Amino acid sequence: MSAPALRIRGLRKAFPKVIAVAGVDLEVARGEVFGLLGPNGAGKTTTLEIIEGLTTADAGEIEILGLTWERQGQEIRSRIGVQLQSTSLFNKITPREALDLYGSYYPKCRSTAELLALVQLEDKADAYHITLSGGQQQRLALALALVNDPELVFLDEPTTGLDPQARRSLWDVVRRMKGEGRTVVLTTHYMDEAEALCDRLAIMDHGQVIATGTPASLIADLALPSVVELTFDGAAPDSAAFAARLGQAVEGRVDLWEIPTPDPKALLPRLLEAADAAAIPFQQVHIRRATLEDVFLHRTGRSLRDL
Amino acid sequence: MMLWRQLVMEWRLYSRDRVAMFWTFAFPVVLLMGFGTIFRDGGGPKLSVVRVQALAPTPQDAALDKALTDLQVKVQSLPKAEAEARWARGETATQLEARTTEGGGTGYRLRLNSYLMAQAGATAGLVNQAWLMAQARLNGAPEPQRIPISVESPGGKRSANYAAFLLPGLLGLNLVSMGLFSVGMVNVSYREKGKFRRLAVTPLPKWIFLLGQVLHRLTVTVIQAAILLLVGRLLFGIQNQGSYLNLALLMVLGTGCFMAFGFALSGFAETSEGYAAISNLLFFPLMMLSGVYFTLDAAPVWLQHAVALMPLAPFIRALRAVFNDGAGLAGHGLGMTIVAAWGLAAFLLAVRRFRWA
Repeated sequence: MSAPALRIRGLRKAFPKVIAVAGVDLEVARGEVFGLLGPNGAGKTTTLEIIEGLTTADAGEIEILGLTWERQGQEIRSRIGVQLQSTSLFNKITPREALDLYGSYYPKCRSTAELLALVQLEDKADAYHITLSGGQQQRLALALALVNDPELVFLDEPTTGLDPQARRSLWDVVRRMKGEGRTVVLTTHYMDEAEALCDRLAIMDHGQVIATGTPASLIADLALPSVVELTFDGAAPDSAAFAARLGQAVEGRVDLWEIPTPDPKALLPRLLEAADAAAIPFQQVHIRRATLEDVFLHRTGRSLRDL
Repeated sequence: MMLWRQLVMEWRLYSRDRVAMFWTFAFPVVLLMGFGTIFRDGGGPKLSVVRVQALAPTPQDAALDKALTDLQVKVQSLPKAEAEARWARGETATQLEARTTEGGGTGYRLRLNSYLMAQAGATAGLVNQAWLMAQARLNGAPEPQRIPISVESPGGKRSANYAAFLLPGLLGLNLVSMGLFSVGMVNVSYREKGKFRRLAVTPLPKWIFLLGQVLHRLTVTVIQAAILLLVGRLLFGIQNQGSYLNLALLMVLGTGCFMAFGFALSGFAETSEGYAAISNLLFFPLMMLSGVYFTLDAAPVWLQHAVALMPLAPFIRALRAVFNDGAGLAGHGLGMTIVAAWGLAAFLLAVRRFRWA
């Protein structure tokens, strides 16, 4: 148990038109849920595919459970579990058959009944794959990633495209994986998912890791841990003139302004006075704690949601 | 063990797609039954000639009609107006009409429809023969001797009907469509949908997966061939005249060759739609030019030579020789070498081009 679950040094990968991964270093400890957070096209999936052995890197070193692809490929495959961004199965295979079949590919496998119970698919065990809902298919994909009782599990955007209820039920499965002592590495572009699931995060943008840490420490490092929001009925007006008057950065969003501040209590009277003087037609004032969204915004100058 | 599991699973999933499975097995049978029945006599439709009725039939007319009937040409006598209308509609292949010759005697005029030359040409020959017969009879001269004709397959085992000609062609065609559509198409769609990628992250050796697929297609082909042979035997009385060993050897050679084609071709298409276009581009010329449904003996010589160098034509020729004529494989060394060479080339190309993702 001495080697970390995953260690990556100087990972690079260029495609003909784009540099997908531009020098990534990561280290994931055993038993941790580790998130790669970033907008689409940040290089998360390519990074994951290189780690999973699906794509070869141009440069860099990867150690998985202390093993390397060059020398111990088959052993890595039998000890990791993988859920790809889209898991394509045969239309007319049932969850029970799929779990039996994929289990037979591994030297060690978990019982199909146990896996079906874990992802709550007992009712659908004998239904054709094509008849399952998106959430059910995704839960089956998670069960398939666990079929070999893996020490390290990779999940690529496990909840993309699911409704809120299906997302929560998937989060429960991920938490159960952690409870079973597995290491989980997942990618996501959802802030709330990263905050809810991950022990540690790496925020990626343009193929690089721009920040690493626990969700709480990343937010605390912001130095502006609160955000005051002015909401408007309809489109928000241009914020530049008001920012000059206030003497502070005002981020214009579609229908609101965001003003990051270390001290909302001191800002608020000044803000209301200035808004009154400038006859700003705002509707409401909210004060909220900064989120990972604000961390991303602060680091890149762009919002995750806009991408 | 893993391989067996893989094969069983392929069959189980395949058997769930009832419609596809039904047509895989039924389509060749339908073709055989359909074409085999339509062209049962082997000679195509009976030849006929439209005879424009003379106002006053002469003994010469009567003798010609009799001679035509003797030669088994169907004579349709129609009044002039009606015959002309039929000709104008394009329904008449051959029209025979009495007319005055330059010397003042009565002769005939034969019109052949340029759109129906296969039938018209054959009829014209017979009409002229009948005319010679009729003249001899009228003159009291001895009737001209005709050379007896018999229709036989080259090996002389049995008189070939069309179904017997068709069946080996369909066996060969099945292998091509299995290779191009079943093997090639499935590979492209697996790659496109990421099924190969999901397998690639498991320790399952890829060759086991591919071999499982190949074995499944092989068993499908064997069943297809068995059904086709059975229907041919029960409905048309066609039997394999050669050794089953030679037949099996040929089928193995063909399966290998055309599966390799499928694998090779799948390396050239990114999407299923792209693959469908490429494979049809290859399939239709192969099907139409390789003597599955009809022979190419009327085609230009350069085309015949070109087709003989493509893989399907020599394969079907060897298959016909064994199946219909009970020949050995000795005479088909060159043809089988051509098939094997194509198979090898396709295999090497497949190894070069094949991609998992």
